[in-house]
Amino acid sequence: MDGMPVYRINVLIENKPYISDPEGDTIRKDLVVKGGYHNVKSIRVAKMLKVEVEANSAEDAKDTVRRMCEDLRLYNPVLSVCKIVESGL
Amino acid sequence: MSLTEEELRYLNDALAREPTSLELSMVSAEWSEHCSYKSSRPYLKMFSTEGKHVLIGPGYDAGVLDIGDGMLLTVHIESHNHPSAVEPYGGAATGIGGVIRDILSMGSRPIALLDALRFGDIRNDNHARWLFRNVVRGIADYGNCIGVPTIAGEVEFDDSFTNYCLVDVACIGIARKDRLVMLKGDVDDLVIIAGNRTGRDGIHGASFASRTFEGEEEDRSAVQIPDPFMGKLLIDATMECVEKGCVKAIKDLGGGGLACCLSETADRLGKGMFINLDALHLREEMSVEEMMISESQERMLYIVEPSRFEEFKVIMDKYEIPFSVLGRLTDDAHLHIYYGGNEIARIKASIVANAPVIKRKAVKPPYIEYIASNSRKPEMPEYDDIADILLRLLSNPSIASKEWVYRQYDHEVGLRTVVKPGYADAAVLRLNLDYAGGEGSSYRYIAVKVDGNSKHCYIDPYNGSMGCFSEACRNVACVGAEPIAMVDHLQFGSPEDEHVFWTFVESVRGLADYGRYMKIPCVGGKVSFYNETKNGAIKPSPLVCVVGLVNDGDDGKVMKGHASRDGDILMVIGLTKDEMGGSEYYEYIHSILNADVPKVDLAYDKSTRDAVLALIRAGLVTSVHDCSKGGLAVAIAEMCIASGRGARVELSNVPHTCTRLDDLLFSESHSRFLLSISRDDLDAVNRLLSDHPVDRAVIGEFNGNSLSLEYKGSGINISMDSMLDSYSSIARLMGHGG
Repeated sequence: MDGMPVYRINVLIENKPYISDPEGDTIRKDLVVKGGYHNVKSIRVAKMLKVEVEANSAEDAKDTVRRMCEDLRLYNPVLSVCKIVESGL
Repeated sequence: MSLTEEELRYLNDALAREPTSLELSMVSAEWSEHCSYKSSRPYLKMFSTEGKHVLIGPGYDAGVLDIGDGMLLTVHIESHNHPSAVEPYGGAATGIGGVIRDILSMGSRPIALLDALRFGDIRNDNHARWLFRNVVRGIADYGNCIGVPTIAGEVEFDDSFTNYCLVDVACIGIARKDRLVMLKGDVDDLVIIAGNRTGRDGIHGASFASRTFEGEEEDRSAVQIPDPFMGKLLIDATMECVEKGCVKAIKDLGGGGLACCLSETADRLGKGMFINLDALHLREEMSVEEMMISESQERMLYIVEPSRFEEFKVIMDKYEIPFSVLGRLTDDAHLHIYYGGNEIARIKASIVANAPVIKRKAVKPPYIEYIASNSRKPEMPEYDDIADILLRLLSNPSIASKEWVYRQYDHEVGLRTVVKPGYADAAVLRLNLDYAGGEGSSYRYIAVKVDGNSKHCYIDPYNGSMGCFSEACRNVACVGAEPIAMVDHLQFGSPEDEHVFWTFVESVRGLADYGRYMKIPCVGGKVSFYNETKNGAIKPSPLVCVVGLVNDGDDGKVMKGHASRDGDILMVIGLTKDEMGGSEYYEYIHSILNADVPKVDLAYDKSTRDAVLALIRAGLVTSVHDCSKGGLAVAIAEMCIASGRGARVELSNVPHTCTRLDDLLFSESHSRFLLSISRDDLDAVNRLLSDHPVDRAVIGEFNGNSLSLEYKGSGINISMDSMLDSYSSIARLMGHGG
């Protein structure tokens, strides 16, 4: 399978919008607002995986990454949303 | 809504009208099995609850023990099974948060955690490994963040927990006797909710925990999010309020949210409450029903006298904890809930707080008869195969080293842990009032351990449950402590199933009989039903957490660990019997179910424990270990592993009534201890034991770097390296680190 192109895929995992995020709240309250940025109204923490994967196409690469995330439970679908996008560079 | 037709009728009669929709929501939450104990309550009366150390028994947020010199211990146990099965990290972490707030509710400072965990087969099941990994990480992250050490626990693996898990956490607190917060309150005292903003998380959590687990997708609403930072702030702020004496009552908001917390508090106080929901600090817009039953984490209720409110406010502001003054106490015993200027509920607190008892049928399940009539024994292995069987048992995750688990926990923070996980059979804490803000000078040493055995309890819930209690007592005795109290956690499938319910009743009976005979009171506990998956009910899984006191008086001595030395003699106390039912040997090695579960002989059990404690107090032993899962052979191997030296054992010396060698090696008979003794002390040991009616024998000697098991001329030899390798199976299965 030599010569297949390598695609760069970003996986963004964050709590669902209606689920609270104490870590983001704490950063906002204790760091950002106390640091003078009173106009910052919300901070949500997410985790990003930058994946390089050999595949025939960008779609195949994203499929592989999606399967990987689900099979290996890299995120919990009950708690989090998982966005998979191709990254330019 | 989850009320039955009968309950609805009962409610209508009690109110003499139809409930409003909010009243119905509140009652449904509080009358869930999880909050109301409506099936179990009549049976829990079987427990003996009084003893010389008991200050407060069951029925409060935590049991309270008086250990002398103005020092009090509080102890409580909780589970978080359903939430952990859906979101293992957050479920386990919020379980820790919950039990800690129960300890806080008595005005005591949480100082130690224990966890008892149950999963499916992590050898072959990815999902079970995912649950195990994240539950342990959740406990570690929360406990470590808030600075409360996790000092002991146990883990069991069994197929009946496939796609599910049991996550139990016990917490120990310390308080000054003159600062204990009992529920008190007078008319016009303020009702205050402090901590996290209320949001939609954990809506219907209590009713979620009161029905069969359907799998994760449908139950997303019951996901609970931990906030250990707020948890820590609440601990510190609450302790400061207690120190200042500016709160009259404290109560955790747990299952059932505000609905349960307000109704139970009002009922306990014999007061009513005027509550204005407009004042509640919220995270998002929500309906009044949602406000009343939300189970958002890290929230506490405080009852504060108006004249002390400024002091309370200064403390909360200092810790930046948001709070709302939700209302005040009234003298009419009713909850008056207002929203937008309208009274939307007006209901007697005692109606909400006291669900009608449901009489459940209990019928012996047919599987028990089936196991009895199909019991058999495996083919007797060749003597040479014994080594291989022992190594396989050592690698059995239910027996193998739990180092992978406890290495993730901070078990030292607070500087009280004198005997740490992995060193002995129970943890030991050194307590002094200095730590609780007082000026005491003398130390108290307490030992704690939690134990369970789902395999024994499945086959014989009465004897199995009694055995768990006996084992927990043995474990605290191994470090030199006399058991003084227990809390239990009773986990079963659906109480609506008459067969499941029978196992519950038998289990309570077994625990109650043991406690009464031993005069070890039950000071609290929890019942968790509906632990079922699509594959049916879990095996009955009662857990027993025993608290022991080392120096009740001044003659105590703590056994700090397995300190056997070369040349030390190995002695066994107790009798090994042909009781192979539920043994790891039969089930893990041979997949054989046998009805003959080990039974506790109460008088004998007490004699062996007393004998061991007398030897420890006389300073005559270098190490003590109890025999449990895997039997004598595993216990000997564990002593070798722990002390880093081999042993030579002559099995024919072991006191026993077995007809087969494999039974002798692997029977899980109760009331047995292994001791290592310095050769010079042997005469003194024998003299002391002559006053105790127990079987005992010298069966070998510690030496070298292999374990040699000999029996009438034949022998096997197992290297320390191969035992250690087998015993490390969990770390290998889970990968290193977290």
